[in-house]
Amino acid sequence: MAKLTLMFEEKTVKEVSLSGKPVGIGRSPDNDLTVDNLAVSNYHARVYVDSGKMVVEDLKSLNGTFVNEMRVERATLKHGDSIHIGKHHIKVDATGEAPASYGSERKAATPKINETMVLDTKMRREMMQQAAALGERTQLAAGRLRVPTLVVLGGKTDRQEYTLTSKLTVIGKSHLATVRLSGWFKPKMAAQINKQDDGYYLGAGDKVPSVNGVPIQGPVQLKDGDQVEVCGVRLNFIVRE
Amino acid sequence: MRIVSGGQSDVGQQRANNEDCFRIVQPLNLFVISDGMGGEAHGEIASAMAVETVVNTCMGEQTRTIAAPAETQAGWSDKTRRLLDAAQLANKNIYDSAEADPQQQGMGATLAAAWINEEKLSVVHVGDSRIYLLRSGVLQQLTSDHSLVAEQVRRGILTAAEAEHSELQSVLLRALGTQPDVEVDAEEHILFPGDILLLCTDGLTRMVADKEIAALLRSESDSARAAEKLVALANENGGADNVTVVVVHMEPKESGFLSWLRHGAQKNAGKNGSA
Repeated sequence: MAKLTLMFEEKTVKEVSLSGKPVGIGRSPDNDLTVDNLAVSNYHARVYVDSGKMVVEDLKSLNGTFVNEMRVERATLKHGDSIHIGKHHIKVDATGEAPASYGSERKAATPKINETMVLDTKMRREMMQQAAALGERTQLAAGRLRVPTLVVLGGKTDRQEYTLTSKLTVIGKSHLATVRLSGWFKPKMAAQINKQDDGYYLGAGDKVPSVNGVPIQGPVQLKDGDQVEVCGVRLNFIVRE
Repeated sequence: MRIVSGGQSDVGQQRANNEDCFRIVQPLNLFVISDGMGGEAHGEIASAMAVETVVNTCMGEQTRTIAAPAETQAGWSDKTRRLLDAAQLANKNIYDSAEADPQQQGMGATLAAAWINEEKLSVVHVGDSRIYLLRSGVLQQLTSDHSLVAEQVRRGILTAAEAEHSELQSVLLRALGTQPDVEVDAEEHILFPGDILLLCTDGLTRMVADKEIAALLRSESDSARAAEKLVALANENGGADNVTVVVVHMEPKESGFLSWLRHGAQKNAGKNGSA
């Protein structure tokens, strides 16, 4: 009879035989294999036999089911396969005789993946690591602290350099502007820089600023080294690590 | 500046109950929204508690203050500090309530609050409810979502476009009431006449693209109608979640005759509501 062995790192947690009944895997205690980890959904996946083949089916789990490192919705299992769920894995031993087929007439309850959930600090770290491991562009994933700075190259301003810490940086004559312009006829709000998740975007105010000599058409993402010009003031956008 | 606002909350097309909550406190120019979570009816309790605590603290009815956290910046106005205290207190109230009642275990809420004092805007937020500013036709987000996908975008793991299609969008890194302590984001901004402020829950931003939101805010000059139309848009696009929208217009102060003419014509200037 085929066997499933739940392992945590190198330790065996539980072993179950696959008979005619599907084996439920998840965080809820009524599963055949309970995986006590918050990154695992209550009813995460199940393994059953369909037409003589052993099949794993992901039950729309939040973090996915992986067979030999590949994310699957449904996959046929063979001897020696490894199912990864959260930090646990399940070894598949199919050396025994094939069990009777199980028709999938029982429809598993669909978990609510739409429910909002909050991660605690530990889960958060784990999930970020998992995501980083799965994601492309991992070279950028370290989360280095990058501090963008506006260095004044020319024009009348109240300082020579501005560190962009706020979500919104205002360039203008207003006494509450971050980059304060002085002089007659300068607008209160000449231009603005909005910090978004993926970078800093320069937008027009009462004036249309230029980036590297080209007037912007709409908000433009600033790149390290860009030169911004507005109302006779020239600023260099620099990202320091 | 003359401040005119309107708000609307709706259950959406797919949920059974509305766990969002909002309040507009006109005399204070205080605007608060919250999106509750937690099974059964407990999300509603959490969001109502969040909104109530913030409003009461800002109105001065709840005088107890929590020591300001380390991130409090020197030079912040009393109002910003008060808002920060209010958010911390809301966290404590929800957490304590959930601890005391096993049925409420796991409930929590987001919070986005804006308080306008003349030309100064104080904002605080926790979670994935957002505050936007439409200025010179440009829609700019004043809050950074405390969600897993947003954090992944900030770290360069996902692009903003990928994040919009992620199935992990509902995973929050912070919320009120789920931990004994919470980190609250706070900032101050300057406002100009003509600015439009938008507070909304994720029921809007997941259904309606920023471009559409900006276009609607630009074209609808009545704040209450703008809020209604944004809610309608979210519902037309599927209404997968509860949706709550508050729109605030910073109008140039009118003087003399014009002001007298319009006096009393301010209908729908504010509407208080909760789920």
